[in-house]
Amino acid sequence: MSNARAETLRPRITAVGTANPQPTYTQDEVLELFRCDDPKVRRFFESGHIHKRHLVLPEQGPDGIVPDENGTELLEKHTRISLEIGSEAIRKCLANSPYRADQLDYIAAASSTGFLCPGLTAYFIEGNGMRPNTHRTDIVGMGCNAGMNSLLTTASFAAANPGRPAMVVACEVCSAAYVFDMTVRTGVVNSLFGDGAAAALVIADEDLSATDGPQVMDFESCIVHAARDEMRFDFEEGKFSFFLGWEVPYLIGENVRTPVFDLLDRWGLKKRDISHWIVHSGGKKVIDAIKYNIGITEYDVRHTYSILRDYGNISSASFLFSLQELMKEGVTEEGDWGVVIAMGPGVSIETGLLRW
Amino acid sequence: MELQTLQLERSGGIATITLNRPDKGNAISMLMVRELERLCRQLDDEATDRIVVFRGSGETFCSGIDLLDFPPDEKPDVRGFSRWERACRTIERLPMVTIAAIDGECAGGGMQLALTCDARVATNRSFYHLHEVRDGFLPGMGTFRLAKFIGLGRARFFGMTGRRMQAAEAEILGVIDHLCAASDLDEAVKTTVAAFGDIHPDAIELVRRLFDESFEIAYENFLGCFLAAQNRAIQTDAFKSLIKRAHEQGKTRPRSL
Repeated sequence: MSNARAETLRPRITAVGTANPQPTYTQDEVLELFRCDDPKVRRFFESGHIHKRHLVLPEQGPDGIVPDENGTELLEKHTRISLEIGSEAIRKCLANSPYRADQLDYIAAASSTGFLCPGLTAYFIEGNGMRPNTHRTDIVGMGCNAGMNSLLTTASFAAANPGRPAMVVACEVCSAAYVFDMTVRTGVVNSLFGDGAAAALVIADEDLSATDGPQVMDFESCIVHAARDEMRFDFEEGKFSFFLGWEVPYLIGENVRTPVFDLLDRWGLKKRDISHWIVHSGGKKVIDAIKYNIGITEYDVRHTYSILRDYGNISSASFLFSLQELMKEGVTEEGDWGVVIAMGPGVSIETGLLRW
Repeated sequence: MELQTLQLERSGGIATITLNRPDKGNAISMLMVRELERLCRQLDDEATDRIVVFRGSGETFCSGIDLLDFPPDEKPDVRGFSRWERACRTIERLPMVTIAAIDGECAGGGMQLALTCDARVATNRSFYHLHEVRDGFLPGMGTFRLAKFIGLGRARFFGMTGRRMQAAEAEILGVIDHLCAASDLDEAVKTTVAAFGDIHPDAIELVRRLFDESFEIAYENFLGCFLAAQNRAIQTDAFKSLIKRAHEQGKTRPRSL
């Protein structure tokens, strides 16, 4: 590792806040609400890796069945719930930090579960009392890895502007991208994703130390062109319907070593030097693929699994939920290294290096 | 690397690590634990050897943990045990085939070291015991490993009584893979090395992990783990060239090169 690198002031993630819409559903409850009895579809719900998810579903009709939502209703739901849970995550994150909303100089917001213009940041700045001259970036359509893409822009701002607090918020209302037509295609998707938002405060300040949170050291991206169409939105009958190809976990497994080991090599690190792995809770298969390709243990992905179990895949917000668990756990020590792995459409693998 | 408690010999892709405290029954001291871990990391980093053999100097494999490392007037703590277990785990995860070559006594931590290896070759005068419980402490993570080799009932009896297991019995119980005469240990090691042939390091890592986890994970979860591992294995050049040879030779299981 070069000295120049070691001496650079790196931004730290000093606070995290998360929020979810109130209602939670077990997998059985979702099947019941949609009156789904096709064993091929039920199979995905019954695999047992997810216990409950936060979802915003319409009220049951008189027949006990959840009515179909049209595209307009879904978009309206995305905006409404995003603003609720996004703002709550921002408030909680700020409450864990020494800053007020009007002190933030930058905000990046990621969301892929609904499109709106102006973007979420315009609402967050207004609704949370940030200054009108707060810099803002909206990251849309990047899926589950978007939290890392947003962290990259946020950390870059923070690194270039020491002492100025920046915020990243990942906001996903997966129940607003709900299409349930009883096919295996939509069954896979609807058995997996949940609603949630997470915000993180990022600032470069030489007075901070490991107890304040990890430094964001570096990033490494990887796009797998061969799998570009294996994870995508299709626009059908006025709604976005997500497609997730069966090969995706394997393709990610085959490619994940490249960015992770390139990242480690650049810093002269070995896998054994990494004390903490923060892996996106994409689903059981993709977590397995990462475990067996990188060679990390059940313990290394304990938070990844527990977030999957309790929230499902909350897309771009997932890794911040896991990071929050790790920071609460209190096992990190000064000098510890951590690696973040998030994956999503592209197919994209976004990795980051943290140091406490 | 300068070594005080170990000896390293390397030839023909085989690294032989000898526990080298013959006047102390090759007992595991804290210095030995640190040297073992450092040395194994070095072998891992260099990745030039395909086999690692552990043996003891003289006519003993290892008599266990060196209790002289506990200062007599201080409150004992578990940090040393934690370090030792970490060293064992490092050995257990080396990306090369590991073989314990055992002569004479193999006790306590020494037995644990042997159980972390992929294979155990032993002389017919070797013997095994876990003396810790009789001495009032515990046989390390041997409690985690031994029952997987010999079954829960036998492990409890053996661990709680500290009874000696002779070489012949150890072979029947599956602790020893290859038994030989005292004078034939070197030859037996060679035979075992040959038995492993050329294993791809990815395959070693994956198959070892899956066998290990087969004791812990339910079938439904394990299946996904296996498929993830198998997908990695079949993407290797080794598997691709195997398929190519199968087609060239028109054989379901082609001859190796």
